[in-house]
Amino acid sequence: MSVDTKEPVISHKKRYNILFGLTLFALLLVLWLVLGLSTTTFWTTNNIANLLRQGAMIAILAVGQTFVIITGGIDLSVGAIAGFASTIVALLLANGFPIWAAVLITLAIGLGIGLFHGFGIVKMGLPPFIITLATLTSLRGIGLLITNGATISINNDDFTNFSRNDFLGIPNLFWMVILVGIPAYILLQHTRWGRYLFSVGSNAEASRLSGVNVNRTIYLAYTLSSVCASFVGILLATRIGVGNPTQAEGWELQAIASSVIGGTSLFGAVGSVQGPLLGAFILATINNGANLLNVNSFWQRVITGVLIIVIVYFDQLRRRRK
Amino acid sequence: MTDQGIASRTPNRTDAIAAATAADLPILELQKLEKQYFGTHALKPTDLAFKAGEIHAIVGENGAGKSTLIKLLTGVIPRTGGDVYWHGEPVALGTPVEAIKHGINAVHQEVVLCPHLSVAANIFLGEEHLRFGLLRHRNMVREAQKILDDLGFDLPAHVTLGDLTIGQQQLIATARAATRGAQFLIFDEPTAYLTRKEGMQLFALIRRMQASGVTIVYISHRMEEVFELADRVSVLRDGTLVGTREIAETNENELIAMMINRSIEQIYHKDSFEFGKPILETRNLSGDGFEDISLTVREGEIIGLYGLIGAGRSEFVTTVFGRHAKSSGSIWWQGEEVNIRNEKDAIKLGIALAPESRRDQGLCLSLPVSLNLNLPVYTKLSHGGLISKTEESSQADRQIADLRIKTSTRSASAASLSGGNQQKIVIGKWLNHGAKLFIFDEPTVGVDVGTKAEIYRLFSSLLSKGAGIILISSYLPEVYELADTLHVFRRGEMVATHQFKSTSHEDILTKALGSAPAIPNSSGESSS
Repeated sequence: MSVDTKEPVISHKKRYNILFGLTLFALLLVLWLVLGLSTTTFWTTNNIANLLRQGAMIAILAVGQTFVIITGGIDLSVGAIAGFASTIVALLLANGFPIWAAVLITLAIGLGIGLFHGFGIVKMGLPPFIITLATLTSLRGIGLLITNGATISINNDDFTNFSRNDFLGIPNLFWMVILVGIPAYILLQHTRWGRYLFSVGSNAEASRLSGVNVNRTIYLAYTLSSVCASFVGILLATRIGVGNPTQAEGWELQAIASSVIGGTSLFGAVGSVQGPLLGAFILATINNGANLLNVNSFWQRVITGVLIIVIVYFDQLRRRRK
Repeated sequence: MTDQGIASRTPNRTDAIAAATAADLPILELQKLEKQYFGTHALKPTDLAFKAGEIHAIVGENGAGKSTLIKLLTGVIPRTGGDVYWHGEPVALGTPVEAIKHGINAVHQEVVLCPHLSVAANIFLGEEHLRFGLLRHRNMVREAQKILDDLGFDLPAHVTLGDLTIGQQQLIATARAATRGAQFLIFDEPTAYLTRKEGMQLFALIRRMQASGVTIVYISHRMEEVFELADRVSVLRDGTLVGTREIAETNENELIAMMINRSIEQIYHKDSFEFGKPILETRNLSGDGFEDISLTVREGEIIGLYGLIGAGRSEFVTTVFGRHAKSSGSIWWQGEEVNIRNEKDAIKLGIALAPESRRDQGLCLSLPVSLNLNLPVYTKLSHGGLISKTEESSQADRQIADLRIKTSTRSASAASLSGGNQQKIVIGKWLNHGAKLFIFDEPTVGVDVGTKAEIYRLFSSLLSKGAGIILISSYLPEVYELADTLHVFRRGEMVATHQFKSTSHEDILTKALGSAPAIPNSSGESSS
C-alpha cells in the first residue's frame, strides 16, 4: 500500500483542485457567453462595469466570510455590519471629518466588532452562530437609534464619485476586490496565520497540542470578516450616496452562498480566496443576466437556491467518492 | 529548532541523558501516583521509575489502567494524588503543553493531527519555516520528505494527510514526535492499524530513537512485540501495578499470569437455563474483517466472543445486524435462511444491538427516559399519526418497573441516570419491541463493579424469557464467567471454542494473543 499510493494520490488531488477552480471559471465564462449571445445589452461597457460593481461588494464580504468558515465558524453579521458602517461613515462625513479619517474610524469600528465576536466565542463560550446573530440584530437596532430611522445623505462629491470612476478602464470598486483579494490570498496560503486558520478548522485539539494559539486564530478570523464587512459598508455608501442602517439586508446569506459555491466547506478546513470571488461574480452574473432577460426578479432567488444545491451536491459527491 | 532533523539535535540531549544514566537516575519517576473518578480508582497509588534510554513496555488487559497512566503522564487529565519527578525535579504535568515542553510526547492509538492539511504542514504545524513572514512551502515539503526518507518511511510529504491510511497517518504522527525533540515518547498500541511492513518501519524507528537517547514507553497487547522490543516490562491489572520485570528474566506465561485477576469476584452472577431451539445460526459467514465464522445461539444461552480489539468480533456482529454486507456464507434465523440487508431487517427479525458506545450510539441523552424507552415502538404507540400519551406513559412505567431502572420519574433525562441504568434503557427499549437475540458489545466498559453486577442480572432475566445473548468483551473474566459457549477470535478468525469453564484463562489468552508474526499482514482489520 504505502509504496503504490504515492503517485495516484497526488495527481488525483491536484487534478481535482485545479479542475474545480477551472469549472467555476468555465461556468462564469459560459454564463457570459450565453448572455452575450442571447442579449444585445450584456457585452456593453456599461453593463460589464455595472456587473463588476454589483459583484464587488458581495465578493469582498465572501472573502472575509471564508476566513471564518475555514475555522469551522460562521459570521451572520456581515450584512448588518456593512449597513451600520455605511451609516457611520455618512455621519462622520456629515460632521465634517475628512474622508481618510472617516474611513479609518469606520474600519476601526469594524475591527472592534470582530474583536467582540472573538471575545464572545473564546471567552464567553458562545457558538459563532449565536454571537453573530445577536450582533446582526443589535447593529441594525443601534444604527436606527443613532439615526432615528432617517437616511443620512452624503454631500461629499469626492467620496461619492469614487464608486462611479474607473482606473485603467476598470471600475474602482473592482479594484477594491483586487486590493482585498491579493493580500487575502497571501495571508491564507502563504503565512502561518492562514495555515492556522485551516489547522484550527481541521482539528482544534491537534493545533493546540502543536502550540498553535487557537484563541488568537479565532480572533483573527472574525476580525478579518468584520473589517471586510465594514469596508464593504464604506463602498456601499459611496455607491448609493447615503448611509442607512437597514441597507445590505440579507447580504450575509449571499456572502455565505458565494463562499460555498466557491468550494468552501461549512465543516471547516476547506476553502480558498479565488473560489468565493468567482462564486460572488457567478451570483452577480445570474442576477444581472436575469434582469437583462427580463426574468421575474423573484425567479432570480429561486435560481440562486437551485445553483447552491447543485454545486454543493457535486462537491459532496466528489468528497464522498474518496 | 525547526530546521533540524533528529540527528543534528540529539548531541546535547544525549550528553544530558548520559549523565543521568551514569548516576542511574530515573528520567521519570512516579511516587504514589493515583487517579480517582468520584471515589473509584482508575489508577491506584503507583510507584514506577523509567530509566533514561530504556524501552519500557506496559501490558495489561483493557481497563487495567494503561490509558489512565498515559493520560496522566501527558497532562491530558490531572492526577488526584502522588508525585511525578522529571529528571529528579517534581513536575505538575497539568496540561498537554507542559508535558510537551518537558519533552514528554505520546503517539496515540487514534491519530491527533489535522486531516485536511498536507503531511508536511502537519509535521511542521506550529513550527513553520518562514522567510520574510511567508511560509516556505517547498522548503517544508522538502525537509519533511527528507525526514520521512531518513526514517525509511516510503511516504510522500506533500499529499493531504487524510488521504493516507490510518497506519500511514500513525507513522507520520511518529515522525512528527521524533522531530520535535521528544525525550520521552509513549506509544499507545501503535501497531493496531499498521501493516506488517509499516510495523517493521516503526520498530526500526523506535530502536533508532532509543539509540539516540530517547526513553520509550511501549503499550501493547501483543506479547511478541513486547519481547522483541522492550528492555523491561510492567504489568497493570485493575488499576494496580502488579510488577516490573527485566525482559530477559521473564516469559510470556509469567506475564499472562500477572495480567489475569485470579480472584474471581462475586459480581459474576450466572443462572443456568435449559437451552431451547436455535435462534441464530451463521454458517461459514465471511465479511470485511472476519472470515468463515460458524456459530449458533440458542434460547437461554450466552455466547461469548473474546479477542483483542481489532480481532473482528465487532465486524462480525455488525454484519449480522445488517450494517455491513457479508461476502459469503449464510445466516439462519429460527431455522430459516434469511437475508439481512440493513439494520431495519435485523430489528424486524428481533435482533437488538446494544452498541459499544451507549452514550453516542444508544441513547438520546438529553431526552426523557420514557422517550428513550419507547423510541423503537412509537409506531405501535401511535394511532392515526398521533402518539397516545397514556400508552406512552404506561409502557415506560412498566419497563422502569420490570427492569428496576432507578430514576426519579419517567420524564427525567437519560443523562441524569447512572451508567448501569442507562445501559438498562438501551436494552429495555428492545424488550418492548419483542427482540429475541441481544448483542452486547462491551456492555460494561466504563461502569463500576456494582453496575456490572446489575447488568449481569439483567442478562439472566433476558435469558429466562427465552432470549439468546451474544456477549462481546475484551475483559476475559467477564466472558469466562458468563458465557455458556466461548469463541475466541484472532485477526478475523475463530481460533477456539470452549464450553463454560472448560479451559483456563491462560489458555484462552494465549490463543487470543497468538504466537504468529508480530504484526498482522493486512490492514483490513479495523477497530471494534
